[in-house]
Amino acid sequence: MKKFLTYASVMLNSFQHFLVAAVFSFLFLSSNSNAQFKLPRYEIVTLDNGLTIYLMEKKDVPIISFSVLFDAGAIKDGETKGLSSFTAEALKFGTKNYSKDQIDSIFNFYGSSLNTYARLDYSGLYTEFMKNDLDKLLPVIKDIITNPTFPEEEIIKRKQRWVAELDQAKESPRQVIGAYYNNFLFTDSPYGNPVDGIKKTIEAVDRKAISSFYLDNVRSENCAIAVVGDFDSDKMKSELTNELGSWKVTTPRLINDLRFTNKNLKEPAVYLINKDNATETTFMIGGFGVPMSNQEQIQIDVINTILGGRFTSWLNDELRVNAGYTYGARSRFASYKTAGTFYISTFTATKNTEPAIDLAIKTYNRLFEKGIDEATLKSAKNYVKGQFPPEYETAGSLAGFLTQKYIYGLEDSYINDFEKTVDGMTVESANEIIKKYFPKDNLQYVLVGKGDEIRNIAKKYGKVIEKNISEDGF
Amino acid sequence: MKYILIFFISAVTMFAQVKADDVKSFTLKNGMKIFVLEDSSIPNANMYFFYKVGSRNEYVGITGISHFFEHMMFNGAKKYGPKQFDRVMEANGGSNNAYTSENITAYTDWFPSSSIEVMFDLEADRIANLNFDPKMIESERGVILSERSTGLENNPLEQLWQETQATAFIAHSYQWPVIGWESDIKSWTKEDLENYFHTYYAPNNCIVVISGDVKLNEVKKLAEKYFEPIPAGPKPRSLHTVEPEQTGEKRLFVKREVPTPYIMMTYHVPQNGSEDYYSLDLLNSILSEGESSRLYNSIVDNQQLALEVGSMYMDAFDPTLFFFYGICNDGITAAQLEKAILDEVDKIIKDGISESELQKVKNQKLMNFYKTTETINGMSNTIGTYELFFGDYKKMFSAPDDYKKVTAEDIKNVAVKYFTKQNRTVGVLNTEEAQ
Repeated sequence: MKKFLTYASVMLNSFQHFLVAAVFSFLFLSSNSNAQFKLPRYEIVTLDNGLTIYLMEKKDVPIISFSVLFDAGAIKDGETKGLSSFTAEALKFGTKNYSKDQIDSIFNFYGSSLNTYARLDYSGLYTEFMKNDLDKLLPVIKDIITNPTFPEEEIIKRKQRWVAELDQAKESPRQVIGAYYNNFLFTDSPYGNPVDGIKKTIEAVDRKAISSFYLDNVRSENCAIAVVGDFDSDKMKSELTNELGSWKVTTPRLINDLRFTNKNLKEPAVYLINKDNATETTFMIGGFGVPMSNQEQIQIDVINTILGGRFTSWLNDELRVNAGYTYGARSRFASYKTAGTFYISTFTATKNTEPAIDLAIKTYNRLFEKGIDEATLKSAKNYVKGQFPPEYETAGSLAGFLTQKYIYGLEDSYINDFEKTVDGMTVESANEIIKKYFPKDNLQYVLVGKGDEIRNIAKKYGKVIEKNISEDGF
Repeated sequence: MKYILIFFISAVTMFAQVKADDVKSFTLKNGMKIFVLEDSSIPNANMYFFYKVGSRNEYVGITGISHFFEHMMFNGAKKYGPKQFDRVMEANGGSNNAYTSENITAYTDWFPSSSIEVMFDLEADRIANLNFDPKMIESERGVILSERSTGLENNPLEQLWQETQATAFIAHSYQWPVIGWESDIKSWTKEDLENYFHTYYAPNNCIVVISGDVKLNEVKKLAEKYFEPIPAGPKPRSLHTVEPEQTGEKRLFVKREVPTPYIMMTYHVPQNGSEDYYSLDLLNSILSEGESSRLYNSIVDNQQLALEVGSMYMDAFDPTLFFFYGICNDGITAAQLEKAILDEVDKIIKDGISESELQKVKNQKLMNFYKTTETINGMSNTIGTYELFFGDYKKMFSAPDDYKKVTAEDIKNVAVKYFTKQNRTVGVLNTEEAQ
């Protein structure tokens, strides 16, 4: 016997009070362990300055997860690729009241750490700490968000290491192939930006660029905070209001004029990245996928589970289990706010490059040629339903969902109706999903491997563009 | 959630919500010990099997077979033939994985709790009646070779680690990598696998942990039905090789094309359960947990000598190694980075650590404990790990207090005792050897 609480929340903006939250709650009681997993209750608060706050109490462990998200992702980098990521890290370089060393020491002392990061669509700050330490850490978090000083000395130090790290990353094809893939697909569109930049643009980053990126993009009206864990919501509301209610960026707000145009994939093409000392070929194959706003993401995920989303998926079964070409083969839809990609990815010993790619393509084509049958669909439906609840077991993962709601407009029904949506799929609708969303023609290939041995093989799959891995950028 | 009461003793010392007594256990007639933790926070459960076998039980010629065996456990038994284990599990909403270390092999199933009986049926079949299909052995050999080469391809540190470990040990079986040497992977036979199965895969050489939305009585009934009929096996011979004391510094060089050099240093140290364990483990945190840690703060941040630096002290049944590693910053030589790491070690040997540093790492341990108890997966894995490596799962719950007993002086003492030149092995990986 167990119970879940759900909360349907409606957000109201208030221009007169510190905060207003109108909340309607429904109690949901389930009577058996097969119950649909539900999003625990939470509350949304919007402060006067536009800051959005999500509060969810979860008291199984005495810790608090604190996730802050800014509408300041790498798609806003402009010419200075990596600026969003560098700015996110530079938030920790020092503030009005704390030096970098103090920030590091305070969080570590309380058994915690502070992570700032950037993705394509957003950047953010994440930390988790023991509930009793909120009072010591919240003022530091506030200063990091609202009063960073971006000290020159720290910027110079970090820049030097950052550039060396970009070289280092290319030692691992697995680590960098995604950046080559996005660059190949999106070219000049902002989604082609490598989040961590390239050497040339990182070398050009300076205090001025960081400060203006920060002032333009890290703003109360562009920011959401999700707090999940062991606290009292009313108290947390007043603490957050005290600390962040007066944060206001006064510089004019920038009008977003980003243009997103997917290039027209007119022919199959291969991006061959030569790594002279490679002993295996790491590859991705695919095309455009779907944006986060797509309403059939769950159904797409069920189909992808069959193709390359679990151990017995077709790709893993053929390339790993039957052929022994690889340790693992998978496929995935990577979705962003206004665009998305689909890819098959795996790696194999250089000598197996051709048969492994051929087998990947042959297996992928089964989707279009044979489609999905009843038994396979049923198995995949059970699988995604069975594996779903643990994804939202921790305070951190729930805080992540709440901030994603903010940036992508996800509905609670994504979680609450997950099972219903999965159960609603039929063989017919599954095969429709394939036709609608899985790219069939003009596939794009990225191969990272030993050029001399795979150059001729690459030609078989499309027009080849070659680049050396040691060249700056992707 | 069952446990929502919190008691406070001081700012940083609290009882966790899950208590040692909440973990129940029973032992089947065949010697298989089963732990159960009821937790209905999500409608799921997991099942961990910890076999007391790892690469330390291997010998030259069959290195890597423990890990290969881990893979073969998914490749067919009597009732469920090749591929059926995964297919049936996934069709019932479950997923699985496994890992092999020098010491143990662990298998996990994660599933909706409504599918629990299927999990028992699948597991009982492979524990009792694993089958070795020659075709599956050959394709799995390819998979393992790919797993080995992709690890080396993507991470120069892994290559340096393998070779440093092989140099630091001369007698004990910790000297070879868990994945095994390539020639052994290519050569072991079906008979080797069968021998291994009969020697180590008996129910009395395994402990099971089940956490999640389950009931103890139900688990007990299922265990008696599915696992109890599996006969016990003879106790495997215990390992008797003792690594002799290292009598002088060892140095090695690994040639590989890299943008900047890599370095690894090891010292022989005692295993879990030894009197110095908690001090060494806290020392490891002082050296490398978080941005304020000694190594990161000094070498990466202040001196800009490395892109990455760290230390490791891992669970072990036998005397093991304390590792230091680092990747040089652009323009920095391996010798410079080695000296910087040794300078930090010497500072601890000479001046010890501060009380606030000690409190910091104790707080970090407490936070890690809470993170572990946040998920049913963390609970099962940690219960099993403590039961095996510390002899009692309850040590998991007393760990925050056990760490609390360590003094700053204890930490200085273990640094003095173990971080000696005589006890050290230094490995460098670089494009060219320094002249």
